[in-house]
Amino acid sequence: MTVFLNSARPLRVSPGLALWIVAGFLFLGLFGPWLVPHDPLKQNLLAAGQGPGLVHWLGTDHLGRDTFSRLIAAANTSLVGITLVLGIALIIGIGLGTLAGYRRGWTEEAIMRVTDVGLAMPSLIIALAMIGIFGTGYWNMVIALALAWWPSFCRVSRAVVVGVMNKPHIEALRVMGASPLRIFFVHLLPTTTGSVLVYATADAGGLALSIATLSFLGLGIQPPTPEWGQMLVDSLPYLEGDPRQVILPGLALTLVVVAFNFLGEAIALNRVPRPLGRRLLARRRAEAAAWDRPPRGLVTGEKA
Amino acid sequence: MKRRNLLQGMAAAGLLPLVPGFATRALAAPGDTVRFAIAKPAGDMNPHAYKGLWGAQDLIYEPLVKYGPGGEIQPCLAASWSLSDDGKTLALELQPGVTFQDGTPWNAEAMKWNLDRWVPTGDHDWINHVRLFDHLEIKGDHSVVMHFKEAPLSLFFELSYTQPTRYLSPASVAADGSFDKAIGTGPWKLTSASDSLSAFERYEGYWGTAPGFDKLELVVLPDSRGRMAALRAGDIDVTGGDFMAPITANEATTLKDAGIAVAVHSGIAMLLGFNPDRNPALADKRVRNAISQGFDRVAIAQVLYSGLAEPAGSMFPPSVPLSGNQFAPDAHDPDAARALLDAAGWTGDGIRSKDGAALKVEFVVSNDQIAGSRSMAEVMQAQLAEIGVELTIRSVDHASRHSDIPARQYDMALFLTFGAPYEPFGTMMGYLYSPYDNGVDGKMVIDAANLDPLMEAATAASEATVQAQVQAVYDWIHAETALAPLLYTPSIWAHGPRVEGFTPPATEYDTPYDGLIIKAG
Repeated sequence: MTVFLNSARPLRVSPGLALWIVAGFLFLGLFGPWLVPHDPLKQNLLAAGQGPGLVHWLGTDHLGRDTFSRLIAAANTSLVGITLVLGIALIIGIGLGTLAGYRRGWTEEAIMRVTDVGLAMPSLIIALAMIGIFGTGYWNMVIALALAWWPSFCRVSRAVVVGVMNKPHIEALRVMGASPLRIFFVHLLPTTTGSVLVYATADAGGLALSIATLSFLGLGIQPPTPEWGQMLVDSLPYLEGDPRQVILPGLALTLVVVAFNFLGEAIALNRVPRPLGRRLLARRRAEAAAWDRPPRGLVTGEKA
Repeated sequence: MKRRNLLQGMAAAGLLPLVPGFATRALAAPGDTVRFAIAKPAGDMNPHAYKGLWGAQDLIYEPLVKYGPGGEIQPCLAASWSLSDDGKTLALELQPGVTFQDGTPWNAEAMKWNLDRWVPTGDHDWINHVRLFDHLEIKGDHSVVMHFKEAPLSLFFELSYTQPTRYLSPASVAADGSFDKAIGTGPWKLTSASDSLSAFERYEGYWGTAPGFDKLELVVLPDSRGRMAALRAGDIDVTGGDFMAPITANEATTLKDAGIAVAVHSGIAMLLGFNPDRNPALADKRVRNAISQGFDRVAIAQVLYSGLAEPAGSMFPPSVPLSGNQFAPDAHDPDAARALLDAAGWTGDGIRSKDGAALKVEFVVSNDQIAGSRSMAEVMQAQLAEIGVELTIRSVDHASRHSDIPARQYDMALFLTFGAPYEPFGTMMGYLYSPYDNGVDGKMVIDAANLDPLMEAATAASEATVQAQVQAVYDWIHAETALAPLLYTPSIWAHGPRVEGFTPPATEYDTPYDGLIIKAG
């Protein structure tokens, strides 16, 4: 077991690779609609289930749609979904968490007990319950996931604000008569937003997986919009005859989820990889060159 | 427990299936047991509750007559019968030497006890002979006469139904008269039932031909891929059927390639229902007609059903009694469809509109109900977009479908006919006759002014006029495009190499154990 875990360690310490995968996902998600070689919705039943070729680089699906184009379009679907869910969840979570940390007292009690209830239940279960009540559909899915995701952001925001509120500059602001609104919007919200956004990065992978899961269950993105989870479930009947149809969306989803998780872990451990620009490269070289020289004062004859 | 121990334990558990033969040993069937895979638990065994798996109840309970291959009516609990010329009295000689599985004899008294228990409730009046039943006259221990107020149509088909016209032992109810134990006269006794497995053993006192093996198990495997894998691994012996554990055409091809025996036979019809009460655009028959001509049945049958389905033009396939004249299936004709929409006032490039409203239609599909129906909906969505109809697909699970369809929460939805022996009248009453509550299956067409009188005439017709009266219903549906027949879908069964002698059942409500034996060695 130890050997197995040790062998996996190089994967866990390569946030640079994760960064590249996430960057690729973001690029495809943002510019996918202009990059697709074929219309991802265009069916050609006569070409259903074709293997990779010059026209369709990754082949076609069971309805003759270009798999490569659909994978790219699905990245856009996931990115938009993640952005919307995180946006709504962050607004609710940060807003309520900051308010709880600032007001304290019964306001904090009320908000944090609701948050505790939210955190006590798995987010996907909450989302499923919401969709069960309000029905399927894109916006219902987004709202359901946002309502399932906000409690963790709320808890972090509250913790950050409680810490900041004890800082001298906030006390000084209050002594100087700054209005509560000024303190809340100008001094607390920006602080909590910055901290919580870091945690949100780690949640993006889980969110991509949740969107895919709901679509896999037929409760999320509805046809014909390409989405990895939906592509997976649509291609499952062809698992034996044409596993390519299953492997490709599964691989794409796995890569993005794992990359987001690695990146989130790296950020949490403050090991954000920085782009290796010309200036940084020069500095690194200088540092490395310095390692070859003994420290000053140790070389005979040199003055300290 | 330390985290490391937990991880090690989980990893070890995850690797267990990789140990050769582990899964097979865990599920291995004993040598005298034939295992059928079912998609859902067999559930309630009350034959009068319209719940539970009807194929499981078929093992336990028997009707007066059986629906045989090709619709041939065969003796069962009635050894012989004689119908009066006016069709109002049916003299029956009951099968002698029959006992229920608890030892209670099957005789005229037992038959009367059964009829008295469920006929007067009114819950089953959708069946002609139940609605028209007058009384049972006992002539002797095994001789009875059923009297009807009027001659019931399709009497013998109705007498063969799985629910509710099957007979249970008087000892199978509790003191308050509610259903308690599953005791019938059938060849199989229920020995245990859970959400994962229903086990039966052969009833040694069975009056008819004894089954060719000792024990039968219905194993619940909800996922179709799991069923296919279990069949190939030898963990189950038989699976398939329209209602028991459907096999898709694609799965059938895969199984055939793997050397598994696959039997394909004529199945049921898939119909497209419109709900003009929810979407006013569909109140115009030109719009319904345009939609029906707007998609390609042939392509769907070829690509999604591997050519095993046939394009449908009528409500029932020709193999169904009283299925009437077969109409030609609507051909894929986008130009004709566009012309119809133009004539109906739906115009414009892209998605058409009328009086500022876009031509949008919500299509409710459930892969749980019909495997692969979402892919079919996607094909229809793309093809209807070409004629300017925006089809929004709402994919729902089985439970949601069972609530949304009866509540008419759909613009368009797929329906399946009930199959033999419930065709044509069971399906027609259920889907087309508005006063009848069709339960979770819902209504396809509601038209009290035009359709209900035709349905009443058809169900009240004599044997001499019924063909014409039923045809009048079919003609009206066709002329109005009140529904759009899509496909005649195949019924597919598959069995593993451990058993032989498999024959597809006469109806999709029967469990096909007849003639089945376990191969020697």
